[in-house]
Amino acid sequence: MHPVVWFVWIGAAALVPLVTRDPFSLVIDFAITCVVVDAIRARPFADIAPAFASPLRFALFAVLVGALFNGLTSHVGETILLRLPDAIPLIGGPLTGESLIYGAINGLILATLFSAFAALTLAVPVRDLIAYLPRAFYPIAVVSAIAATFVPSSVRQFQQVREAQAIRGHRMRGLRDWLPLFMPVLIGGLERALQLAEAMTARGFAAGGGEPQSRSAEARRGSSTLSQVVLAVGLGAVLAGGVLRLLPGGAKWRGLDLSLPLLILGATATVWVVWRAGSQVHHTRYRRSTWTGVDVVCILSAVVAVLPLMIFTFRGGPGYSPYPRLALPTFDLRLGLPLLGLLAPIWGLQARQATTQRVEKPDRTGFTAEEGRKS
Amino acid sequence: MVDPAQSLRRARLLRWAIYGLTSLVGIVAFAYPFFLPALASSGGSAHAVDSPLFLGLLGGFSLIGLLLEAQGDAASDAKQTALLGVLVGLNAVLGFLETAIPGPGGFSPIFFLIIVGGYIFGGRFGFLLGSLTLFVSALITGGLGPWLPYRMLVSGWIGMGAALIVPLNRALRVQGTKWELVPLALYGGLWGLLFGALMDLWFWPFAIGPETQHWQAGVGLGDTLKRFLAFYIATSMVWDLVRAVGTIAMLLLFGAPTLRTLRRFARRFVFTVVAPAPEARPGIPEAREGNA
Repeated sequence: MHPVVWFVWIGAAALVPLVTRDPFSLVIDFAITCVVVDAIRARPFADIAPAFASPLRFALFAVLVGALFNGLTSHVGETILLRLPDAIPLIGGPLTGESLIYGAINGLILATLFSAFAALTLAVPVRDLIAYLPRAFYPIAVVSAIAATFVPSSVRQFQQVREAQAIRGHRMRGLRDWLPLFMPVLIGGLERALQLAEAMTARGFAAGGGEPQSRSAEARRGSSTLSQVVLAVGLGAVLAGGVLRLLPGGAKWRGLDLSLPLLILGATATVWVVWRAGSQVHHTRYRRSTWTGVDVVCILSAVVAVLPLMIFTFRGGPGYSPYPRLALPTFDLRLGLPLLGLLAPIWGLQARQATTQRVEKPDRTGFTAEEGRKS
Repeated sequence: MVDPAQSLRRARLLRWAIYGLTSLVGIVAFAYPFFLPALASSGGSAHAVDSPLFLGLLGGFSLIGLLLEAQGDAASDAKQTALLGVLVGLNAVLGFLETAIPGPGGFSPIFFLIIVGGYIFGGRFGFLLGSLTLFVSALITGGLGPWLPYRMLVSGWIGMGAALIVPLNRALRVQGTKWELVPLALYGGLWGLLFGALMDLWFWPFAIGPETQHWQAGVGLGDTLKRFLAFYIATSMVWDLVRAVGTIAMLLLFGAPTLRTLRRFARRFVFTVVAPAPEARPGIPEAREGNA
């Protein structure tokens, strides 16, 4: 599937634990992400992806630890299960059912985030993750691509050095014995960096080719100064907005709340700087990912899935809280049912698999027809 | 006409303003959880719902600002790009070894190279080395998640701050002697502990939740700090101590040869492209002065 589908999906799936504490929504979201992880793992060649702790095992651990920590340190609530002696600092006092449940929900939130991001990492190859960095971060994408390319050869070099040293009778007994392994790898790496730098220079990397050359150096410097000033102003606004939110009385100036407008101003300025820096970078894509109807359906269903929950939360709908007295959460079908839309990528994966079996060249299908839609 | 010295001074001022502001935004993001209970008890519970989201946004802004500012040099210099790329890759392999062969506790070899790199090649380089190491190793080992911007920000700070040891060492007159490793080791040990504490802070709004204290009167900053301290000692203290000791040991044991090697390569990385006369070859850019 198209990488953008996964970016939208992760945005939706990770938003749920960030905005709600409703156990039903969390459990549904967690179960869906687990199923999606399984579906991705079932793909051919899935075994080259990084290995993960099983989401279920992580969830068990996180829920247990979360419940224990909150139960032992927070002594609020009316359902008292037992009383620890008050002499013990911090954990002494009543152990309440409410605080245990609250802590367990904390663990569930973490587990859901973990398993959602596990799905993303399994589904999208490193190449695409780097390629879809915002254009403004083009230098960072180049450095990351070089680094990711050098990782396998560095591992290989490390093994070669270890074998060579072992032949000479080198043994690992302590931390100091890492030195004869580390230094050759470091020096070898730096030598390769030097060769790479020479090769890149010889091919004219960053030599001012392409569009920027058409403008004078002075104009370029002036425009980057403008970006810097806007960035500084935007960061100042974010800082002021953030600090104002922390003041207990809220930030009231003649009855107006200033923090939100300041934050929005700062965000707008930063986004503008990123957009502007990106617009000066021209790039081409090698092997574009293709859009299909399935992708569009997957994106739409992910957005629709979390929309009711978002609207409900930001209109001030009461989230679930076990305090002050433990009560069963109410299940709202209008919030829970749409979440199933997050399952769409499973169908997408199967549809894509069916196409690749039928068509000989998977990467080229629909290439020209869909090209115009991509930017 | 603009006076070049003045415009240079203005550019430096602007750059320091951006660095200062991003760091302050980051500090606010990390300090935010401590203020939540006090906020909630004063009736500001409207912030309760969106606090993890808000926290993430603040951290993100800080990171975006720093990355935009720090990447400028790398963009215009093939040598910096290549050196940074290879060092990040090498360091990501060290991080990879850490996950493949788990060492004791929170020991992680990646901070060694980040600190030494920032010390030798300067603050911007150190920042990029720190944050991109965690980015690339997250890409490879599958460590993507909402915690990544925080990890990138803090490890970038580690590399950036290491550059500040250069003037310190110069003032102490230990540069180039074997004593120059002592401030570096102390710095590494300090960050070994601080890194864990700051990462706990990311997790903290989930662990604490403002509603917990909502029903207790008079809960303030002090009480939150006390609970955080307990959380830290219970969950991370031993783990972080191992990391701190490990980083100190690495800096003391490997520091001297690594510094020597990096300094040698810093000199070797100064090469200049001498193009033929520009009018003869219009496509070739003018010769640039190399400075690493």
